[in-house]
Amino acid sequence: MKPFEYKAVHSVEEAVSVLAEYGSDARILAGGTDLLIELRKQNVKTPKVVIDISFIKELRSIESPNGTIVLRPLVTHSEIVTSKVIQQYASLLMSAASVIGSPQIRNKGTVGGNIMNAATCADTVPPLIALGAKITLRSKANSRQIDLSDLFVKPYQTKAQAEELLTEINFLKLSPNAKSSFIKLGRRNALAISRLSVAAILTQDKNGKITDARIVPGAALPVWRRVTEAEKLLIGEKPSKELFVTAGQKVSEVMISHTGRRWSTEYKEPVIAVLVRRALEACL
Amino acid sequence: MKKVKINTVINNRTYEFSVAPNQTLLRFLREELGLTGTKCGCEIGECGACTVLLDGEAVNSCLVLVPQIDGKEVLTVEGLAKDSKLHPLQESFMDHDAVHCGFCTPGMLMSAKALLDKNPDPDEKEIRTAISGNLCRCTGYVQIVEAINDASEKIKE
Ligand SMILES: Cc1cc2nc3c(=O)[nH]c(=O)nc-3n(C[C@H](O)[C@H](O)[C@H](O)COP(=O)(O)OP(=O)(O)OC[C@H]3O[C@@H](n4cnc5c(N)ncnc54)[C@H](O)[C@@H]3O)c2cc1C
Ligand code: FES
Ligand code: FES
Repeated sequence: MKPFEYKAVHSVEEAVSVLAEYGSDARILAGGTDLLIELRKQNVKTPKVVIDISFIKELRSIESPNGTIVLRPLVTHSEIVTSKVIQQYASLLMSAASVIGSPQIRNKGTVGGNIMNAATCADTVPPLIALGAKITLRSKANSRQIDLSDLFVKPYQTKAQAEELLTEINFLKLSPNAKSSFIKLGRRNALAISRLSVAAILTQDKNGKITDARIVPGAALPVWRRVTEAEKLLIGEKPSKELFVTAGQKVSEVMISHTGRRWSTEYKEPVIAVLVRRALEACL
Repeated sequence: MKKVKINTVINNRTYEFSVAPNQTLLRFLREELGLTGTKCGCEIGECGACTVLLDGEAVNSCLVLVPQIDGKEVLTVEGLAKDSKLHPLQESFMDHDAVHCGFCTPGMLMSAKALLDKNPDPDEKEIRTAISGNLCRCTGYVQIVEAINDASEKIKE
């Protein structure tokens, strides 16, 4: 690793003021499971300063005030997996966190780092977008809240400024009649090979008709988003295999309309359709 | 590059160090402290050979920046034996022939210790999950799983 200055910060105030001072010369360090690998690569620009936020206690909690869930960015994947609140009100996020890397990676990797690294295969992002999560970005001068789905420009690039710190992720608890799921193919490795995944949420009324549907594929589209084109097909219908197959095909079509046909399409086209069907079935 | 002052506990001993920040805990343990029990495999979080406990949790020491251990406790394989007596996991690994070339063993032991500290009576699935971040090229894992299971029984006694 090439030399850099290191600064541990102990509060959000301190973090944003150090970030304001160094701007794009600084990199934020949380769990380090992405950043350390990057810092050791030969051909990357080494930051002047690494700002270690991992000691900021106020950024490591899961709270559930009035019908919402507030996740702070330093919550680790292991903490998500063992959280009763997440299990009860956002179980798809728990499923996603539980298949990240290995126990060692889950103990260290944080949800904030997962989001801000913006790798195509970031597993907590599809569930959080399906949940309609909003995030708060703080800088010394400003604090803004945006939809998580508006954060991303392309893989590894977000709209956050260099001096902005992610301080909060919040979303509504799922209603008791909503069921959710997250399905991912295979295990990813540190070499960032994208793995297809699907996050889904279905809500049915007491007659079994679908009243709300959310489908967010991972590693399929240039940026993550709900595939409303497929969700629409489900509303007002009763679940059936044919219906879910149709929805899967729709997601596949939408994917190809974005990415065009390339070497991986032959594989991804049928696979994403099947994953969508399975994710929807897992919501029943 | 300024050095960083840290206070830490490694294998139950308190230290104050002044460290260069641009190194991983793995390299620091091996190269500065001579604690070479912790193995250096892939250095990208894939193999688990470098697993140590940080405040009781299994982590890849190749993905920890040294100054991040400030105020925290580190346990390496060298800290498992007490009063010149091996830890039951170590005994059990030998009894079950769970050590072939031995490269993965320190990491396996630390992942197993993290598991048993939290869950003294794990089933096979829980054992396999606990060591899912540790690769072994030799044993095929069966002896390792048995060794951990057996150690859990012994510790309970
Ligand atoms: C072996 C291995 C397997 C993995 N498997 C998976 C997997 O299956 N699924 C998956 O999704 N990921 C996987 N990962 C990637 C990684 O573990 C996760 O993305 C993790 O959540 C990153 O969090 P971190 O705290 O370690 O991030 P860090 O490495 O500390 O930071 C990542 C990036 O986010 C920025 N950042 C961090 N926190 C903030 C903040 N609060 N505000 C602004 N910017 C911030 C950093 O500057 C950096 O650019 C794997 C990694 C490894 C090494
Ligand atoms: S050396 Fe750390 S995981 Fe391989
Ligand atoms: S004993 Fe050789 S790698 Fe496990």
